[in-house]
Amino acid sequence: MKHKAIKIGLTSLVLVLAFGGLLYSTLAEGTEYYKHVDEVMGQPDGWYGKKLQLHGYVVPNSILKRKSSLEYRFQVQSNGQIVNASYTGVVPDTFKDDAEVVLKGSLSPEGFVVTPNGVMAKCPSKYEAKPGAASPSSKY
Amino acid sequence: MAALGAVLLLLAFVTAAYAVAASVAGSRRHNARLIESGIGAFYTVSALMTVASGVIIYVFVAGDYSIRYVQRYSDSVQPLFYRIASYWGGLDGSVMFWVFLLSLFGAVAVKVNRERHRELIPYVVAIISVVEMFFLFLMVIHNNPFDTFLTESPVDGRGLNPLLQNFYMVIHPPMMYLGFVGATIPFAFGMAALITGHLDDSWLRAVRRWTMFSWFFLSLGLTLGMIWAYEELGWGGYWGWDPVENAGLLPWFTATAFLHSVLVQERRGMLRVWNVTLVILTFLLTIFGTFMTRSGVVQSVHAFGEDRELALYFTIFMVSTLIFSFGWVIYRLPLLKARHELDSWVSREAAFLANNWVLLFSALFVLFATMFPTITEAVSGERLTVGPPFFNRWMLPIGLILLFLTGVGPLLAWRKSTVINLRDQFLWPVVSAVVVSGVLVSLGVRVWSSGLCFGLSAFVVGTLMQEFIRGANVRRGMTGTDLLTAMIGLVSRNKRRYGGYIVHLGIVLMCLGFAGQGFSKDVQLLLKPGEEATVGDYKLHLDAIRVTDDGQKQMVTAHVTLSDTKGTALGQMHPAKWFYRKHEQEPTTEVAIRRAIAEDLYIVMPAFEIEDQTASVEVHINPLVNWVWMGFGVMAIGTGIALLPEGALGLAVATLPADAAAASLLVLSLLLFPSTARAQHVDTPNAQLQVFSPEVRQVTKKLACWCGGCSHLPVGECTCGHCALVKTEVTGLIKQGKTEKEILDFYVAKFGGQQVLSEPFNQGAGRLVWLVPYLTGLFGAITALVFAVRWSRRPALAGTAMAAEEDTALSARLDDELRDLD
Repeated sequence: MKHKAIKIGLTSLVLVLAFGGLLYSTLAEGTEYYKHVDEVMGQPDGWYGKKLQLHGYVVPNSILKRKSSLEYRFQVQSNGQIVNASYTGVVPDTFKDDAEVVLKGSLSPEGFVVTPNGVMAKCPSKYEAKPGAASPSSKY
Repeated sequence: MAALGAVLLLLAFVTAAYAVAASVAGSRRHNARLIESGIGAFYTVSALMTVASGVIIYVFVAGDYSIRYVQRYSDSVQPLFYRIASYWGGLDGSVMFWVFLLSLFGAVAVKVNRERHRELIPYVVAIISVVEMFFLFLMVIHNNPFDTFLTESPVDGRGLNPLLQNFYMVIHPPMMYLGFVGATIPFAFGMAALITGHLDDSWLRAVRRWTMFSWFFLSLGLTLGMIWAYEELGWGGYWGWDPVENAGLLPWFTATAFLHSVLVQERRGMLRVWNVTLVILTFLLTIFGTFMTRSGVVQSVHAFGEDRELALYFTIFMVSTLIFSFGWVIYRLPLLKARHELDSWVSREAAFLANNWVLLFSALFVLFATMFPTITEAVSGERLTVGPPFFNRWMLPIGLILLFLTGVGPLLAWRKSTVINLRDQFLWPVVSAVVVSGVLVSLGVRVWSSGLCFGLSAFVVGTLMQEFIRGANVRRGMTGTDLLTAMIGLVSRNKRRYGGYIVHLGIVLMCLGFAGQGFSKDVQLLLKPGEEATVGDYKLHLDAIRVTDDGQKQMVTAHVTLSDTKGTALGQMHPAKWFYRKHEQEPTTEVAIRRAIAEDLYIVMPAFEIEDQTASVEVHINPLVNWVWMGFGVMAIGTGIALLPEGALGLAVATLPADAAAASLLVLSLLLFPSTARAQHVDTPNAQLQVFSPEVRQVTKKLACWCGGCSHLPVGECTCGHCALVKTEVTGLIKQGKTEKEILDFYVAKFGGQQVLSEPFNQGAGRLVWLVPYLTGLFGAITALVFAVRWSRRPALAGTAMAAEEDTALSARLDDELRDLD
């Protein structure tokens, strides 16, 4: 009985260590920081080049789109801190002035560069739809 | 009405509390009358919940906007169908719907098992009632769907989110709930067995069917959710590892694990602690899933209301359930000793065990990754997130391992497989896998994961074919029929096993569909009318961007002509953007999909500029997507077979001539085939820009389209050419000064009956018609209940009658042969 317990214990230990190790190593590549604009822009130097998910609100009248292209420039703010963002691609239906957005990408001294498909506008769940708040994003 | 609803909920709470007290006391004092009264109270809860549901549906249909919930999720222009569906459109109502379903299920489960599991019933009643009480408490205290506005109430509602006005979204939540609620019944039986100490395998028999049932509805709910995401959200995929989706997937993993490990307990008396644990975990995960999606603990892009109070209630409930249930498991450990030990690692029970570990690991992994932002925030204060690539990276190999085990399991013998045995069993499946992989490599398939998936699929299909053919051959040797008839006879003799194999086949098809994603392409284009672009083997030509209006919404439609690279026309596609009235700020992106077995062409138009006539168009080529849906269809058939009452198929086969089964199967397959490839999507590209006055819209909404092709949509909402004519005619009549009543009467007289009205006059005989949907629903529910009751009985009599027909010696031999195959 004792022998069996040891065997089971050792097997589980090895498995747990192996999976833990794998998980840790893949997590390191897979994770992104979830930050608000003001948290990042308070001390921008520390965040250059890191993978970020940036939460904020689109500054009204800041969205510029180059004619006949899918290049966008816009500003996102939270608590008074503003960051310039650039993006090329399709934006979700709800991306507009004052929309609450989460941007995936990384920060550089020139501004926040959004990765392809990296613009998510908050989508109202059926549970808590607010009038006028955003809706379908291009990504569920 | 609101007061009535609120009182009903309160009453239900009190009655449920009484049911708990009476059953527990009755069981402890061995007082049969107390137990009886507890059961009576339990039934009463379901009656009360049914009436309460009637009330809430009534207020939705009648449009009582003084009730907050009604005001928030419906409005006066909504069709009847969606008004009823608004019942579960929001948090408060969905909690109520949950309790309603649970009370019905509980009543059926108790009714069915009352005699057979007499000793368990009081605690089953108590456990289910406690769960009901929790949700009723939430409603009464925190979010009562019958809350009214304290001050002046609005005249109209806000309307259901247009995104949710989709057929799949209406039936997806109830299916999910059926699955979630179904998981409570096995939990109640498991806990009752633990509390009473009646831990023989009889409680398992009581819950096996329920678990299968709940599993089926979970799968159905998940699949419907995927179809909805695919057709409505327009990002070209169907699964994004969103917390909400994961919440539904978690109990699916543990329920699947349980369905497999329960076989080991039945066959070998092993894994007893494990099975109880899985039942408890499945239940906890359903509650956890609800908690996660409703309380805002996990931030997702969905703006779930962050509701600290709700989160607190849920946490308390989950922690106490966890302590209570595992406390009992630990206390009863001595009674849960396994009757056998694992003999060999090369055995079927070992394969099942491995399958269980992998499934449980999947559940834990998905849970961990979903909760990761919350965990990291709690630990380090930094919110870190992981995205779909992380999930895919892990779940892909896990899925492949599961697929492999699906193929291996049936090939291994119980207890221990010998070497000869292994060679004999593995030869053909391995050959088929090798051949398919070889062909794929020579064809130049270079996506390793998809290629591996195809190879493994061939292996599993090889296994399944071998199982069917060998079993059928044994049977054919004895009954002397053709192979197909023998196969059906085989399935009917062991429905759970062969039904299970058919489910596996469905899983393989789904996996093929998933693997197809490895070859998907997507391109973003910016097109002006007259411009052309080539994507894959398709040529797209943008003809025009048109703006139309159908009264309910404004539609911006891109007209795209599709041809292949040689220039052969393949038809028109119409991606669009719809702006619903009152929801102009939330346009919906309407996807155009060209479906085919090999690949879907999927076009969306996420943005457009009317002034300079440009459309940004996103084109996805999604290979094999439809295999996922077909796979689910096969899975449903398999589950149906496994759930059939014993003797059902046997009877059918017994009365048929030898070749009839083969012939009818052929006919059936021919009938089913075309229906698999049909799309649901509604395109209304021919709608013309017509503006009608509000009066005209008002009147035409009351007329049904009678062209025959539009399923009797109200004329005002229909966009067919016929309705355009009617609208013009009505405009003329209104100009002549006719009132609404006169116009309607005119049409009734013209067509000689009320069939032209979209809703009958709400008077006299017309009222009866209003009842029809409810009566149909009620009838359906009663039929389902009756069948559930009948099927759940041990069909001892039917079984013996059947057996007597066959030569007993022969059937004994068949059983022996089949056992050898096991």
